[in-house]
Amino acid sequence: MSVCKTTLVFALGFLSLGSPVAAEDEVPALFEHYCFDCHDDATKKGGFNLEKLLEEGDFDGSLMFENLLTGKMPPAKKEQPDTKEKRAVLDWLAKRKAGSQPKTFRRISRHEFVHSVNDLLGTDLDLAARIPEDRGTNDFDSSRKIQLSREMLGSYFAVADEILDHAFPAEGFPAEKTWVTNKVKDSHESYNIYHRPYQEGVLFSWTRANNGNSYSFFYDNFDPPVAGWYELTFDAMKVAEFEEDVSLQVYAGKYYYADDRPQPQRLVGVISLGNKALKSHAIRAFLKPGENVSVHSYSRHTFRKKNPKEGAYIKQLTARGPVTDQWPPSSYERVFGDLTMEVEPREVVENPDFQTNLQKIGGAVTVSSFQKGMEKEKMQDGSNRTFWHTGFQPTVAKPPHYVILKNPHGAEIEGLSYATWSGGNGNGQVKGYAIYLSDDGKSWGEPIVEGSLEIRLANEQPIRFPKKTTSRYLKFLVTAALSLDGKSIASVGKLDVLTPLSNLLETSTITVASTAPEDLKRVIRRFAGGAFSSKLSEEEMAPYFRVGLEGLAEHGDFVQATKLGLKAIICSPRFLLAPGEHANPSYTKAADLARTLWLSVPDEELLALARSDQLKGVVLREQIDRMIADPRSRRMIRSFSDQWLNLRSLNKVTPSLKLYPEYDDLLNHYLPIETRAYLHHLIQENLPAGNLIDSDFSFLNQRLAQHYGIEGVIGQEMRRVSFPPEIPRGGLLTMGSVLKVTTDGFDTSPILRGAWISKNIVGTPLSPPPESVPALEPDHGETTTLREQIDQHKNSKTCYACHKSIDPYGFALESFDATGEWRGKYKIKQAHPGTFLYRQAGYYKWGGPVDASGEMGEDKFEDIFGLKKLLLAGEHKVAYNFAKKYFEYAKGSKPNLEQRLHLWDFIARSPGNVQMRDLVTEVLAYSLTTDGK
Amino acid sequence: MKHYSRRNFLKFGAALPLALQSLDLRAATAPATKVPPKRIIFICNSLGFYEPSFFPTKRGDISTSPYLKEMATREKMTVFENFFHPGMETSNHDSEKSFLTGASSPEAANFVNTISLDQILAREMGGETRFPFLSFSIYDRGWGCSWNNRGVAIPPMYDERQIFDRLFGKDDLTAKRRQIENDQHVVQCLYRDMEQLKRQGGDASKIDSYRTVIAELEEQLKHEEFWLKTKKPEVPNTLSTDQEFAFSTKIGNLFELSKLAFQTDSTRVITLSLDWIYGAIKVPGATGGWHTLSHHGGKADTLARLNRIEVDIVKHLNQFLSELDEIEEGEGTLLDHTTVVIGSNFGDSSNHTCNNLPTIVAGGGYRHQAHEVLEKPTPLCNLYLELLHKHNIDAGKFGRCEKDLGLLKG
Repeated sequence: MSVCKTTLVFALGFLSLGSPVAAEDEVPALFEHYCFDCHDDATKKGGFNLEKLLEEGDFDGSLMFENLLTGKMPPAKKEQPDTKEKRAVLDWLAKRKAGSQPKTFRRISRHEFVHSVNDLLGTDLDLAARIPEDRGTNDFDSSRKIQLSREMLGSYFAVADEILDHAFPAEGFPAEKTWVTNKVKDSHESYNIYHRPYQEGVLFSWTRANNGNSYSFFYDNFDPPVAGWYELTFDAMKVAEFEEDVSLQVYAGKYYYADDRPQPQRLVGVISLGNKALKSHAIRAFLKPGENVSVHSYSRHTFRKKNPKEGAYIKQLTARGPVTDQWPPSSYERVFGDLTMEVEPREVVENPDFQTNLQKIGGAVTVSSFQKGMEKEKMQDGSNRTFWHTGFQPTVAKPPHYVILKNPHGAEIEGLSYATWSGGNGNGQVKGYAIYLSDDGKSWGEPIVEGSLEIRLANEQPIRFPKKTTSRYLKFLVTAALSLDGKSIASVGKLDVLTPLSNLLETSTITVASTAPEDLKRVIRRFAGGAFSSKLSEEEMAPYFRVGLEGLAEHGDFVQATKLGLKAIICSPRFLLAPGEHANPSYTKAADLARTLWLSVPDEELLALARSDQLKGVVLREQIDRMIADPRSRRMIRSFSDQWLNLRSLNKVTPSLKLYPEYDDLLNHYLPIETRAYLHHLIQENLPAGNLIDSDFSFLNQRLAQHYGIEGVIGQEMRRVSFPPEIPRGGLLTMGSVLKVTTDGFDTSPILRGAWISKNIVGTPLSPPPESVPALEPDHGETTTLREQIDQHKNSKTCYACHKSIDPYGFALESFDATGEWRGKYKIKQAHPGTFLYRQAGYYKWGGPVDASGEMGEDKFEDIFGLKKLLLAGEHKVAYNFAKKYFEYAKGSKPNLEQRLHLWDFIARSPGNVQMRDLVTEVLAYSLTTDGK
Repeated sequence: MKHYSRRNFLKFGAALPLALQSLDLRAATAPATKVPPKRIIFICNSLGFYEPSFFPTKRGDISTSPYLKEMATREKMTVFENFFHPGMETSNHDSEKSFLTGASSPEAANFVNTISLDQILAREMGGETRFPFLSFSIYDRGWGCSWNNRGVAIPPMYDERQIFDRLFGKDDLTAKRRQIENDQHVVQCLYRDMEQLKRQGGDASKIDSYRTVIAELEEQLKHEEFWLKTKKPEVPNTLSTDQEFAFSTKIGNLFELSKLAFQTDSTRVITLSLDWIYGAIKVPGATGGWHTLSHHGGKADTLARLNRIEVDIVKHLNQFLSELDEIEEGEGTLLDHTTVVIGSNFGDSSNHTCNNLPTIVAGGGYRHQAHEVLEKPTPLCNLYLELLHKHNIDAGKFGRCEKDLGLLKG
């Protein structure tokens, strides 16, 4: 343990503890002198009997340590130990805890897995959600308490396949297509009240987008052939005279009809329309087959065509893709290096006409009967608004009802794709089917597959055949259909064949022109070097060579064989269990740093420094600086804020629309972005840690500024905004994201918010609540006021002992509602008549005024401004808490008491106020030393 | 591939490729008089039930329980009073980790869990079905009621669509087979690397922990390979899509999936974790944060809202039980062959106490006692041990309990 030899005294009265250590045997006397007044056998204040604990000797001293270190104990009005004495006790406590950390090891988290593999392959797939949440109930993903389970390993295997197949698709890359469309399909006929034809396209008014699935307007005249990145260009403009931009939220997901099963839609981008002349706005979206794009428009001025001449005008959407970063994609270069590749030119298709798969293989359909206006072609026109229906007028066609699909060239068919028609009441929709094959269209034999279909589900339902067929005729026989009136009828919205991609001709393949085992080994070895952050011997590499070579012998395909080797590497214990068992400690440091700051593997520069064992001293700190400046450190910001501030649970809280009618997806999208931008800035610019509590700026856009009641911020791009002094924002406590995630979206509880801030921001150590104490909960009705609740805590000594350092934070934050909006009065929810119908005014009336005052010890405050001032006086405590959290984030375990002393000393030594990047760098550098392990 | 099946056989002994055992069993028993298999489900309502509304006020008479009086299957239920988990006198929400394991002090920093009851049962009862067990929860949080023999959380499934597809959706068999083969190659490669790591003196605990996991995965691949030969049952999708009460819909659907899984004999062991401590939810008659409301502090207005949420849970439970009881199977109904255990880690979640845990055992063909008030606080693991015995597992103890109290008759 390093002990600082000099004693520094700051004007603020904040003492460094780096003074000479007092003799160990003085410590019991110090306890007796300073603590036994309250905590001896007789008094045991707060239920804490130190005298007994010291006698027994077996106790966890960390709470005592924290209380002493942060000056909570002995209480201010009691006699204080001097610096030397304090240090002696702290050292004594730290020493007796030292070495008690369990021997555990770190595994990589799901986010680290996905980022690492993406970086190794040059892909960009967000697949972390495919791996189960791996944090348990711990605060940090890195927690060493979490071990790998079979289910987790199984999902790593599956995700590895998915990323590798995406990077090196066996079927090749489908042509890059460009579709242009100006047709909107709303998910309900009645939604046309939200938009109208305008010039060559459509003018949208505001539609409330909440939880991503209400009021959907799809641009669905294109069909992504494979999962991949697509470039979406909207030619659009604002049509309005007001000052602010109109926003377009762009979602991806499957089309659905409002009365059917809703399909989840995910926000892929926001376009801010300030331009009053047409302009192209491009975003990138990852789309899967069957998915389309839907849009919502938002402006506080254009609710539901209040003014039908205003809104967002979209002339057309141009969708292009799947796009690759280059041709051949950089993943090939990265993995196969200088090996000769045979690269077919990438097919590019402009403005493809919509074609069904059946049309592409030159096929056609015939049907058992049809009703006029509902002919067989309607199943093949790409729309499920139109449909085929068996004849019912003038006479009802007799069963059997069937569709025959002709496959004149004997193309390979894997199955059928069926969809109901959207709308109607489900009458006639197919419930059961049987598929028959024939080579002559006459003799059909036994069905190859029978099954059931869902009704009232607008999106495609695949029917997979047991094996591929090349039969010339396929019969889709309706064995059951919904009939509301007992008549024998059947209807189909869409029916098409499922074909392997290779049938669709326009793919470009890339092959590696080698079958040499030596080449394969070289490829696998190079990849392993990056993945394992190390250099492995031939012997160590042997199993990975072997799995690749076996694959090569079996399939003869170099690329596919490579994939096996790479998969083994990224599913191995060397990769997943972050072993860091390398010949040279610099490799371990490189791996640790990359994992913490980039959630990934080291880059070439780090590896080169590791090879020559240079990662120490100044070089190490320079590398940390470089890594923080690298854009990949934004992953760390996101990951750390998701964990530390629990922003990952932000979406689990859905604010009540009755109380908070203005809360929408757009705001929800930007709240955490503000927090990340702010933290990123504090670290990049090395600003004082006090900014965690308060500052005169934040990062806002138009929507956030509206939420915070700040005028004059136009456009949805994030930018630094300075606050005038009367604005209560600035710092983490008053950010919408934090204020929202500390509530249930309905009520605010000063106790829960207070405890959260106490634990996560201020770092006041809390004891668990005593047993059998009835909890107090928010009640903003007219009978109980908040004051009375406070008094209930004050009235009980048991409660007040702890709650005096919890509740005040919550009281000050009562000025902010469950969405983080400022409030002077409480809202009281009102019943709505009948079914809930959204309205802008919500359903509430105003209740009593908010009282945000409180007291911290001797200090009283009136409101959040006052509280922030008090907290800033203890800025070093906030910095210390941040350092502890960051240490735990990096290491997967809480710092032990010796390590905490080190962190505290560093903060104490810093001239002036400790700065954020210095703090992060110190924690990281320290965590890589032997003491910090 | 041949050579390692033998090695595996030797290595795993008793826990050997379940699929192979089931092959024999199927051949032997399929056509003859089929004895319906036993199933079991554990449901943890992690915020508990408000005690005065849950427990019968008159001893022995379920109809005096405000919550349970409407239950259609009252004749096939026993409500137990006075169970507790020792070592959880003061606990927080971490107590849910120990609901099915009984491990003490789950909130402690150095807590390591133990195997959960369902996993012991699944070893015995899981081999003959496509899924040796299923574990469900409301959202992705990575842990629920099921913990493996190393005390590691088994992440539950939470997406109804995906669960339905896993159970009943058609797979692309060719692709699936290819993927299993690939995985088996990779597994062999990793075994070889672990040998090497060990020879080189790598961290033994780390290598062993990985070896255990990969051996389990290998076993699972064999199981999946075997089941490729059997078609999945065809089941119409009866999941509700109601969006007004999305939370309630979710719970109803998880019960529905449990029913379908048992009915189609896709699995015989299920756990279902009903945990939600986040934002407000909406059920018929009330909107509010379940967790917020659970800290009711005895206030009438809060209790009224909490009551609506708990009534909604009980409604789903009632529907689940009565539907199981409507499905005829063998001499009785599916419920008679399914032991349903409903409980919680909290006795009174308002105060976070873990004594007098609300516990119901339903179905399973026992002679039910309606309402059984245990004389003194009894560790819940006693009941768990008894359930092991009822399912032919000759265990001497579960958790720290060694005594089968014979609480379930027949």
